[in-house]
Amino acid sequence: MRNVLITGGSRGIGLAIARRLAASGDYNAVAVARRESGELAAAIREAKQRLHFRACDLAVTEATSLFARSVRDEFGPIYGLVNNAGIGTDGLLATMHNSEIETLIRLNVLSPIILTKYVARQMMADGAGRIVNISSIVASTGYNGLSVYAASKAAMVGFTRSLAREVGRVGITVNAVAPGFVDTELTKSLDEKDRRRIVGRSALRHLPGVDDVASVVEFLLGEGGRNITGTVVTVDAGSTA
Amino acid sequence: MSVKSKIFAAMKQIAEEQKVTLPPLEDDLPLNETGFDSLAFAILVARLEDELGVDPFTVAEDAAFPSTLGEFVRAYENVPA
Repeated sequence: MRNVLITGGSRGIGLAIARRLAASGDYNAVAVARRESGELAAAIREAKQRLHFRACDLAVTEATSLFARSVRDEFGPIYGLVNNAGIGTDGLLATMHNSEIETLIRLNVLSPIILTKYVARQMMADGAGRIVNISSIVASTGYNGLSVYAASKAAMVGFTRSLAREVGRVGITVNAVAPGFVDTELTKSLDEKDRRRIVGRSALRHLPGVDDVASVVEFLLGEGGRNITGTVVTVDAGSTA
Repeated sequence: MSVKSKIFAAMKQIAEEQKVTLPPLEDDLPLNETGFDSLAFAILVARLEDELGVDPFTVAEDAAFPSTLGEFVRAYENVPA
C-alpha cells in the first residue's frame, strides 16, 4: 500500500482527494491539517484503516522536518505528496494588511516548499515518488481582489517545473493541478452575481466539483501519470478555454 | 561501523547507482572531485539522515556546505545531539 500525504486534508479539495485515494484501495492516505474536521473524522470511520489524520501546523516551518520524519517512522516510505493546503484571503492589494499578505505567502508558498524539501529527500533516498501541487487558474488568468493569492499560486507553477527537472533523474514526478473556481469554503466569499458570471463564462456552463480535481490527482499518482512531469493540468470546466 | 565507514559505504552505493567512478576516498579530497553532482549529494544526505537519524546541514545555523570529504565526515561526527 502506497502512502500519500495530503495537506489541507480536512476539508474542501484536500478532503475529496484523501477520501478518493483511500477508497481506491491502492493508497494509504494521510490527511494533514491543524485540526480534524467533523467531515474528515466521519470519512476516517468509513475508510477502514486507509485514511488517517495527523495534526500539523505547516505555517511553523521549524517543525516541518520533524513532522516529515515522524510520518515516515509511523507509516513507512511516502510515495505521494499532495500540497493542497492554502488560504484564499481576498481583498484589494492597496488595502490588504501587510500581515495578511505575509501569512498568505507563508502558508501558500513557503510551507509547501519546505514540506516538499523534506518529503522529496525521503523520495530521493527511495528512488521513487509523486508530487502534486495544487495551483489555480488564477495563476495564469486574472481576478480582481486575488493578486496576492494569484502570486502564491503562480509560485507553485514555477516551483513545479524546476523541481521536476531537479528530481526527474531519481524517478520522482512533479506536477501542478490548476482548478478553476470550485465550490468550497474558499470560494464562499463570492457573491451570487460573481458566481453566475463565472458559470456563464465557462465552456461547460457549470463549476467543477472537488471530486473532479481529486480524480486528476489520483490519475497523476497512478500508473497513467508515470510519464507526466513538470506540467499543469487545468480542471476548470472550460473557464479559460 | 564508524560514522566515516557508513558514509563511505553510502557513497559507494550511490556511485554505483548513478554510474559514477569514485576516486580513492581521502580526507583532503575536494567534494567537487568525487564525481558526485549536487543530486548525488542530495541523495547521500537523505540516505544518511535515514541511517544515522541526523542531517547536520539542517541543524547548522549557516547554509555553508563543506568543501572536502574530511570536512563532510566531520560534520556528521560533530553534530550536536
